Amino acid sequence: MKRYDCMTALAGHLRDELVILSLGASVDEWYNAAPHMREGSLFQQQLGCVTPQAFGLAAGLPHRRIVSLDTDGGMMFNLGILATLGNEQPKNLFVVVWDNECYQSIGGPPTHTAFGRVDIAAIARGAGIDKAYTVTTLEAFDAHCEAGLAAEEPYVLVAKVSGTVQPDIRRKHSDGREDKYIFVRHVEKTEDIVIMGPSEHN
Amino acid sequence: MKQSAVDAVIRGLKRAGVSIVCYLPDSLFKELYPALDADPEIRTIRVTNEGEGAAICGGVFLSGKRAALVMENSGLRASVEPLARMGLGAGIPVVMLMSYRGELGENNWWAIPHGITMEPVLDALRIPYRVVREEDAIEQSIVEAYDWSYNAYYHSAIALGGSVVR
Repeated sequence: MKRYDCMTALAGHLRDELVILSLGASVDEWYNAAPHMREGSLFQQQLGCVTPQAFGLAAGLPHRRIVSLDTDGGMMFNLGILATLGNEQPKNLFVVVWDNECYQSIGGPPTHTAFGRVDIAAIARGAGIDKAYTVTTLEAFDAHCEAGLAAEEPYVLVAKVSGTVQPDIRRKHSDGREDKYIFVRHVEKTEDIVIMGPSEHN
Repeated sequence: MKQSAVDAVIRGLKRAGVSIVCYLPDSLFKELYPALDADPEIRTIRVTNEGEGAAICGGVFLSGKRAALVMENSGLRASVEPLARMGLGAGIPVVMLMSYRGELGENNWWAIPHGITMEPVLDALRIPYRVVREEDAIEQSIVEAYDWSYNAYYHSAIALGGSVVR
């Protein structure tokens, strides 16, 4: 199963959701697989921060569906967030973990999930997230996306994907700071709120 | 902490517009946490480590709500990685309120590292901070930290020390 194909399937389900995204090659893949979600996606380079940030966003906007696109390396970096989600039970957070069993962006050395023993979905269930699943086919991934985006409780979907990257895709040129402004302005516009407002005149 | 100091913290957080507090409990603030939990205007989120709390606070910032990360100053060390990435990499601010363990007067050997490392770590991250040891200054200091962070879009910190927390 290729991550890019999964992203294309997920993108087909998304309209006004907000997405927090992990680091590495998945950034450029999402940029291309979901062009209609570019302003509504926060592209960040923050191992271990992705799902916690998505949960913070979900806590602040409880009426809005939030999607976290995390990774095996990112989730293993901060497993504690699964316990926090288990206790807090956010009703509007769908977490996808791209599990390619390697640190792909630095050439592919294995992560802890590569050896057939570590199961992130099982860890999530043990942390109190009842709806946590592992999928290995595109059909199953698509069905779980539909369920996860409608769930009224935290939903963790671990997608076992190959370590390949979609070839010949357009690179995203902006950095984390520009991405933040684009995302914040999108949230302001769609929520009719001010997050980063004008300075005082004094 | 005296009840009056707890009240001053909560007044400051409310004046600053805070509605979500992430915390990992410690002993010097032990009276503060249940007061935050009990306040109907504040949602508390208990975290497994302070770095997770920092990242959650960053997400809250993106929602337009205001968050605080409340912790012992040892939590600053656990938060360095997400603080560096969010603050220096993206300009996503986190305002921290921490107890100052390990300052002069400390009576626990295990807390000495917290005192020795807190200010140098804040300086390394270029995070402006104020050490508050007078109860009368708590509320306004918290408000001013938010004023600064919401203009700089960078982290700031208030450390409560001295007789305020002992």
